[in-house]
Amino acid sequence: MKTGLITEQCLVVALLAATLILAVVVPDAPAQAVSNNGIFIGILLVLAILFLTELYLQPKTAQAVTDIFLLLSGLLLLWEVIFGKLTLLDPFLFPGPAKVFAVFGADWEIMAKGVGNSLFILTSGYLIAIVIAIPAGLYIGWRKRLFAVAYPVAKAVSPIPPTVYLPYAIVLLPTFSASSIFLIFIGSFWPIFVGAVYGVFSIDQRLINSARTLGLSEHQMVRRILLPGAMPSIFSGAMISLIMSFITITVAEMIAATSGLGWYIEYHHQFANYDKVIAGMILIALVVIVIMFLFDRIQEHCLRWQHAQ
Amino acid sequence: MATINLENLSMIYGSNGSSYTALSEVNLDIRKGDFISLIGPSGCGKSTIIDLVSGLKAPTEGKVLIDQEPVNGPGPDRGTVFQDYSLFPWMTAFENVCFAIEHTNGIHSRAAVEESAQKYLDLVGLGKFRDAYPNTLSGGMRQRVSIARTFSMNPRVFLMDEPFGALDSLNRIYMQDLLLHLWSEGERRKTVLFVTHDVDEALLLSDRIAVMTPSPGRIKEIIEVPFARPRCRKSLSASADYVALKAHLLSVLYCEMQEAIENQSVDHRTVA
Repeated sequence: MKTGLITEQCLVVALLAATLILAVVVPDAPAQAVSNNGIFIGILLVLAILFLTELYLQPKTAQAVTDIFLLLSGLLLLWEVIFGKLTLLDPFLFPGPAKVFAVFGADWEIMAKGVGNSLFILTSGYLIAIVIAIPAGLYIGWRKRLFAVAYPVAKAVSPIPPTVYLPYAIVLLPTFSASSIFLIFIGSFWPIFVGAVYGVFSIDQRLINSARTLGLSEHQMVRRILLPGAMPSIFSGAMISLIMSFITITVAEMIAATSGLGWYIEYHHQFANYDKVIAGMILIALVVIVIMFLFDRIQEHCLRWQHAQ
Repeated sequence: MATINLENLSMIYGSNGSSYTALSEVNLDIRKGDFISLIGPSGCGKSTIIDLVSGLKAPTEGKVLIDQEPVNGPGPDRGTVFQDYSLFPWMTAFENVCFAIEHTNGIHSRAAVEESAQKYLDLVGLGKFRDAYPNTLSGGMRQRVSIARTFSMNPRVFLMDEPFGALDSLNRIYMQDLLLHLWSEGERRKTVLFVTHDVDEALLLSDRIAVMTPSPGRIKEIIEVPFARPRCRKSLSASADYVALKAHLLSVLYCEMQEAIENQSVDHRTVA
């Protein structure tokens, strides 16, 4: 088993090295030629260093890390060979990696601004949703009579895609940011809300009874028992909300923005700059990876009591 | 320390047609500092009595008096230990005990709360496990934390609903001795209402045993347990009095079970 893992790790390094050599030594096909392939080379080097430090720092997850990097380096090599060197597919629609990564060098300022704008809108709407949906959900889950009213409403309204509200949001709210924040809020609200309600339902009645025998006030009951008890379910709702928010913000930016991740892709699509379109996609993927990583860390911390050692 | 009086308690679940009588005209007077066990087959309403005394449920008829005052809902003057769900899984052992102390008899300073919590965890031998979450503790350890929590609340009355029912026999012996020790060491003995289905457990721990019968739940017989305290498990189980009392208790229970089974089969026949 151990030797198998080491062979796989060597393969990852070999694949990265092969791609690197191809990029440096073999000239790109004329259609894919780019004045400066330094960024692509830099990224290959960074990937190699990242791989080795990750193995060194996290020996426990070595297998998973190796598998992921194997996939990644294999795809990069294929991309370089098939699109960059051999141009087996239309070079205009399918640019090689050197061309795509060069975009990051040229456009980094506009990209950074786009990421900043998108993240500002995303986090604002998302946080407002969290702050309102969790207390509302806990309280409605706790008070059965309120639930009887809220449940049919939630069931009817929650599947409506938030972009449906876009025309009114644009007319009624002063700026694109404000209307987007509103859309993200609406889209994020329901999954978190439903997660909180069902989270309260899922708390073992015997635990609730145990809490009741302590003679807690209603506020303490919600804060110290219902909130932590519903937390696992709230987190699954919050994850769905986060994905929804990302889709919403990207679509909204494609339709109406002048900056941001979605706008960047849509703008360059109109000018048929496919290298920039792909660069935009990669950028979105990177942002999503970082956000999901942070989300997982927060979830792990908040639910640390769930995992028996 | 308090008296508990159950006066003419009845509990009927359900309404219009399909009702189920869990308790019927139960009367029981528990003296100060008494250790009383409720024993009987499942479905005889033992746990219902605990729910009524703790105030989690309200009786259909009759009332529960603690120190001659009627019970109107749950309160921290009654400490309850359930089978395995007393602790909140999102709080560490220490936080669980602190949380209970904070919500009982007046607000102390944070330092006083923590000192007291540590004292009670040490008392049950879990001082080192204060930062462990309940999910990481064994069933026996969790019950020890529950007991530490209940003692730390310093309630007037202890209610225990099969607290050792989910433990293996060795752990159970250890916990019974620990409970007896804590109960008799205290400056004032607590009044304890203890639900069990284990005859030996009831005989070892109790001053009196109330034997219950199912459908509808009733107290059939109250048996005095005359053995002097402190009781020694070994010599007790060998004594002739103990054997005779156990035989009597078992025969009462067995007779009950027999009747219950016959009643059920009669019910089935009438339904069919």
